[in-house]
Amino acid sequence: MHNVVCHGTGNGYDSAPMIASVKVLPGQGSAGSAGFHPVRSWSLAILLAAATISSSLAGREPAEAALPDAPVKPLPVYPLVVPAAREDLPDALLRTVPVSVNDLRAIEAHVSSLAARVSPAVVAIRVGGASGSGVVVSADGLVLSVAHVGGYAEREVTFTFPDGRTARGVTLGSNHAMDSAVMRIIDPGPWPFAEVGDLRGVISGDWVLALGHPGGYQPERPVVVRLGRMIGYEGGLLRTDSTIISGDSGGPLFDMHGRVVGVHSRITDSPTANYHVPIGTYAETWERLAGGETWGQLPVPPRTWVGVSGVDHPEGIQLERIFENGPAFRAGLKSGDIVTKLNGMPVRSYATFLGAVTPALPGETITLGVKRADRELEVKLTVERRGSSRTR
Amino acid sequence: MRSCNSPVDGSPAGKVRGDDQKSCQPPARWWRPIWLGCAGLFLVFDPAMVLAQFRSSPVAPLLEEEHFKDGQSTRQVFAPVVTAVRGSVVSFELDGQRVALGTIVAADGLILTKASEITGGELTARLPDGALVEAVILAVAEESDVALVRVQAKGLKPVEWSVGDPGVGQWVVTAGQAFLPEAVGIISVPPRRILHRRALIGVQLDLPGGEGARITRVMDGYGAAAAGIRPEDLILAVNATPVSSGEDLMQRLREFRAGQTVTLRVQREDEEFDVDVAMLDAEPGGSPSRLSRQGRLNPLGGQVSARAEGFAQALQHDTVLEPWQCGGPLVDLDGRAIGLNIARAGRIASYALPAGLAQEILQWLMVEAGLEPIVSP
Repeated sequence: MHNVVCHGTGNGYDSAPMIASVKVLPGQGSAGSAGFHPVRSWSLAILLAAATISSSLAGREPAEAALPDAPVKPLPVYPLVVPAAREDLPDALLRTVPVSVNDLRAIEAHVSSLAARVSPAVVAIRVGGASGSGVVVSADGLVLSVAHVGGYAEREVTFTFPDGRTARGVTLGSNHAMDSAVMRIIDPGPWPFAEVGDLRGVISGDWVLALGHPGGYQPERPVVVRLGRMIGYEGGLLRTDSTIISGDSGGPLFDMHGRVVGVHSRITDSPTANYHVPIGTYAETWERLAGGETWGQLPVPPRTWVGVSGVDHPEGIQLERIFENGPAFRAGLKSGDIVTKLNGMPVRSYATFLGAVTPALPGETITLGVKRADRELEVKLTVERRGSSRTR
Repeated sequence: MRSCNSPVDGSPAGKVRGDDQKSCQPPARWWRPIWLGCAGLFLVFDPAMVLAQFRSSPVAPLLEEEHFKDGQSTRQVFAPVVTAVRGSVVSFELDGQRVALGTIVAADGLILTKASEITGGELTARLPDGALVEAVILAVAEESDVALVRVQAKGLKPVEWSVGDPGVGQWVVTAGQAFLPEAVGIISVPPRRILHRRALIGVQLDLPGGEGARITRVMDGYGAAAAGIRPEDLILAVNATPVSSGEDLMQRLREFRAGQTVTLRVQREDEEFDVDVAMLDAEPGGSPSRLSRQGRLNPLGGQVSARAEGFAQALQHDTVLEPWQCGGPLVDLDGRAIGLNIARAGRIASYALPAGLAQEILQWLMVEAGLEPIVSP
């Protein structure tokens, strides 16, 4: 089906000068991957808030099967960024909203051919016990992925292409603060590869395609394609509404020119909250990534809370526990109250309630519609940093 | 069950309060799940980082929600597409609760829909003209989870099926009865077989045998334990078909899905008796979960359909649907049905039976219901 040979001539990678050399990195393994363990050990609540989206996690085990002692190798150079002009895209793709069914047809034609063109460069990745996705960005097999799949340098990797071919490779560097990672195929190429883009000129509302292997590689299923729009930056990551999940981690986000502009990293409860590492960080930290360095830790999220637990109820959610001195407590909410509305919108389940409250900032006020006995109340409360009312 | 302390940690078990929880003691380290539960409300990212790290990447400001792929303004553009097909969509209610959409396939009141959503209560259908009528299930194709339903009506508009293969990247529109679509998306994967995960009764077996399958261990929480099966019991038959060994039994059980019940013939000492055992899904964590009518909550993307796997063929699309938005037609930009929405399968995926398969199933159901097959014009 995706038998279109990869596009991407004029990349310039082969002719670019090779610079620098690989750093020797003793003992990088255990320090770098610590930031992601919460997901394994901390239950679903963390998943709701900040699920990293690997099928399993980069382990802490020492670098198994390191490459044989190699002579000092030239540092791979960053792929040439392919410039692209918005004006080259069909008008339908540039409008805030398509205006007609004809616009939709234009988008459809563009997206269909783009999906076929870029798919061959999307790979499934296995590293130790972790699996994820990645995208090949040079003919000799440089692969962009994420740190929570790669973990740290010099680990053995198996790449699987959409046509079923497999290739052996190795992890290079990982930046756990941004979740960026680079790997490379060591088997001889040339490999199908995708162009690398940049985010200059990218604006909210730009259409994007997310590709990858959600749930892990399945031989009978080709790369899975999802469409969305660029929503903007949140926390240094790109947010889109092209849905991703476990196994997509490390897979590419393409702009409508077919250039990689992001790499899938994480999600929250809402299907419109999908986060991708912006391509810029790979360029900015390329020497460290390509040089095999492992660094950084996840930023600690500000912990906002409302201070309730609840269960689903036909009219919304029923509150079970009101945590003492929490925002809900101080707003006068009581156990047994039924929350029917959040900021005027119906509340359908506890999960969606959590998902809707998640994006609130500390200090933000939310309005809840509450049923207590036969009365209907409106309760305003201010979400706050968890712990601020308890400690200090 | 781990549900004693889970209402706050956002796990599915915590959202449906079962009777078993009433007797739960608070776990000793109650503060831990609570603390984690609050994590469910955390903001994940610190916007201040944006400016600090990516001055060179001007994407701001955030896109308005109405302009999202499935936002109100975007769906507005699909209105003409929906106009062409909404006359062929019914909405099913079970005891007054909306449970599924349906696809009209014959003018005199024949409708296809998702079978597993419409049983267990009084079924009514809201017709395109707004009338609420009684609906009767004529036949069910268990394999594909499709039901043929009859309503007393005349002059309905059958859906127009599309011919040709749908392609990845193509828009797909889930039409309901409103002017705007229920939701829109694109095709993510061409039609393929969707296997069902293995369901378990929760026992360990002596694999070789001679006559029957010997139970060596019974796992807590699964159907076998609930049905009173014990170690040393010998299973002689599944649904009256004899089994010769543990291996044979496993093979036989593979044909069943979670949510189904099997009747096992059990020999215990001198006794021989039949017992009904529920098949359950094995969760990744190892604990069982029963597929319920309400569907299971996928913590990272809303509800999934109770029956979301095990289809001979389904095309996968990225439309975000609720389980009750399945059963209706999935149409292309011409308003022709390229499939029948059959399941919400997870955060990234909905499944539709391709038009060709849906029509084959329809013919089979017609025969099953004792009706003359519809002759294509």
